[in-house]
Amino acid sequence: MSTITTLPDTRPAATQSPVPRLTLGRVITSEWIKLRSLRSTWYMMAGLFGVIIAFGLLSAAVATGDVSTAAGGPPGFSGASPIVTVLSGARFGLLLVAVFGVMVGAREYSSGMIRTTLAAVPRRLPVLVGKLTVFVAVVTPVVLTATIVAFFGGTAILSGAGVTSVAWSDPGVAGAVLGTVGYLIGIGVLGVALGMLFRGIGAGIGVLIGGILFVPTLMTALLPDSWDSVLKYLPSNAGQAFSSVDAGASLLGYWPGVAVFSAWVALAVGAAAWSLKQRDS
Amino acid sequence: MLEVRELTKKYGDVTAVDHLSFTVRPGIITGFLGPNGAGKSTTMRMILGLDRPTSGMALVNGRSYTGSPAPMAELGALLEAKAVDKGRSARNHLLALGATVGIGRTRVDELLEVVGLSDVAGKSAGSFSLGMGQRLGIASALIADPSIVMLDEPVNGLDPDGILWIRNLLRDLASEGRTVFVSSHLMSEMELTAEHLLVIGRGRILADMSMDDFIASASTNHVRVITPDAMALRDLLVGPDVSVTSTAPGRLVIEGLTAERIGDVAAQHHLTLHALVPIEASLEDAFMKLTRDSVEFHGSTESHERKAA
Repeated sequence: MSTITTLPDTRPAATQSPVPRLTLGRVITSEWIKLRSLRSTWYMMAGLFGVIIAFGLLSAAVATGDVSTAAGGPPGFSGASPIVTVLSGARFGLLLVAVFGVMVGAREYSSGMIRTTLAAVPRRLPVLVGKLTVFVAVVTPVVLTATIVAFFGGTAILSGAGVTSVAWSDPGVAGAVLGTVGYLIGIGVLGVALGMLFRGIGAGIGVLIGGILFVPTLMTALLPDSWDSVLKYLPSNAGQAFSSVDAGASLLGYWPGVAVFSAWVALAVGAAAWSLKQRDS
Repeated sequence: MLEVRELTKKYGDVTAVDHLSFTVRPGIITGFLGPNGAGKSTTMRMILGLDRPTSGMALVNGRSYTGSPAPMAELGALLEAKAVDKGRSARNHLLALGATVGIGRTRVDELLEVVGLSDVAGKSAGSFSLGMGQRLGIASALIADPSIVMLDEPVNGLDPDGILWIRNLLRDLASEGRTVFVSSHLMSEMELTAEHLLVIGRGRILADMSMDDFIASASTNHVRVITPDAMALRDLLVGPDVSVTSTAPGRLVIEGLTAERIGDVAAQHHLTLHALVPIEASLEDAFMKLTRDSVEFHGSTESHERKAA
């Protein structure tokens, strides 16, 4: 192993390799190589795909009465509106995509790899853009396909059993299904940003799941209705406004919900960018 | 060429790097030597743009590393071998790094061969020994064929075989005309490789000179004498440029005179000598002496040594 001491002529031939130059496209390629070369990426994607479909179809089956619920089975699986039933897998998928997002953002901080990465890309911001780009590119087809399969499979099970169902063309349904897809991707992007901002998987997941997904829901439930005018602007409530049919008067409208949620995501990405640019690594 | 101008880094009240200025020239190996905590790694991190200087700047081939169109082709660095993702294979690690400047599989496989990791290229970096990790880190540093190579403590954790390999690699890199900048806290390692020395302590430059000059400046010779006539000999030898200290009854350490001269004086006055031993200071001693005041924490063994000396 130690016998090779001479470097071969390492000057790249012009015809063979391109001139070494750092570009955004190349940083994105680099991030894609990083993401695809980790086994956990593919486990996560398989899990996300499976959970969204499996829980959707299972909930639909439970709702038809074909599959008996365990005594006092989880509320919301049956007796909920058909669209909530068939998209129930997305609620579990939400947690997975949140965790995956944080992992993509924070993983390099846990291993120390970030210093190698930032030494290679000292302008830094392309790294964030690269990570977000490959994350969205990988997650979008998975979430979109799985949600659509869950919707059509679930509604087919419901209507096959003669239970109340919904159709894609019903008012608000297509918007809610696509909104759910958008919400999941948005939460994932939020995860990437928070992972980079907090520089740790634990902290990122804690803030995202605790602070953004769980606490606002709790506050909505506990605080008097007079608070609704404020609470509806929180990310999870804004997300609810465009990922469900008939969101209710306490939430924002569909497009205002999209706008407010996007603003939250943009804020987190902006904070991550600022932090990445400013802080020592 | 690597140039550092008035580089300063403060963490609150603590000044890690204090108005450091130096130039590292191409074609030779420059050793960056200092005790642990002297500011070597902080300086290197600032050169790479990983840490933001409080003031001052570092220039890589005349401009800041951050502003270079192809940073890794200007300067390749190994800061810590552990800065890799444990779940990724060595080959994929290098492919991802190379991709940022458009370097692909051919060059990556060639480098794996150079550093001797071809057989384990598909294994996850987490399964690597410290030595294999260092080799992977060196491959990362060389990936874009940089004109400057900067390595922080590259021989750490290497077996003798690996140390020899690094030494030869560094010499080859320098002989190809590259600027080679290597840090270490061990003088013994630098002694064998570096042609130029930058000694740093508490964030300040203590010496910036060629290895030959350092060796010359280090050779203040002492002579150890054992004699029953210690008092008489001491009175004969002591003078403005000569210091005589007694370590024990009948034992002297004389600084400023050669052993020959001391022997002659003793013979003229018919004094008996039982031992007359010239002691040349080692480079390690010279380095220790230079940095002694700048070491943040003294171990107890070192203070014993000082008492003994």
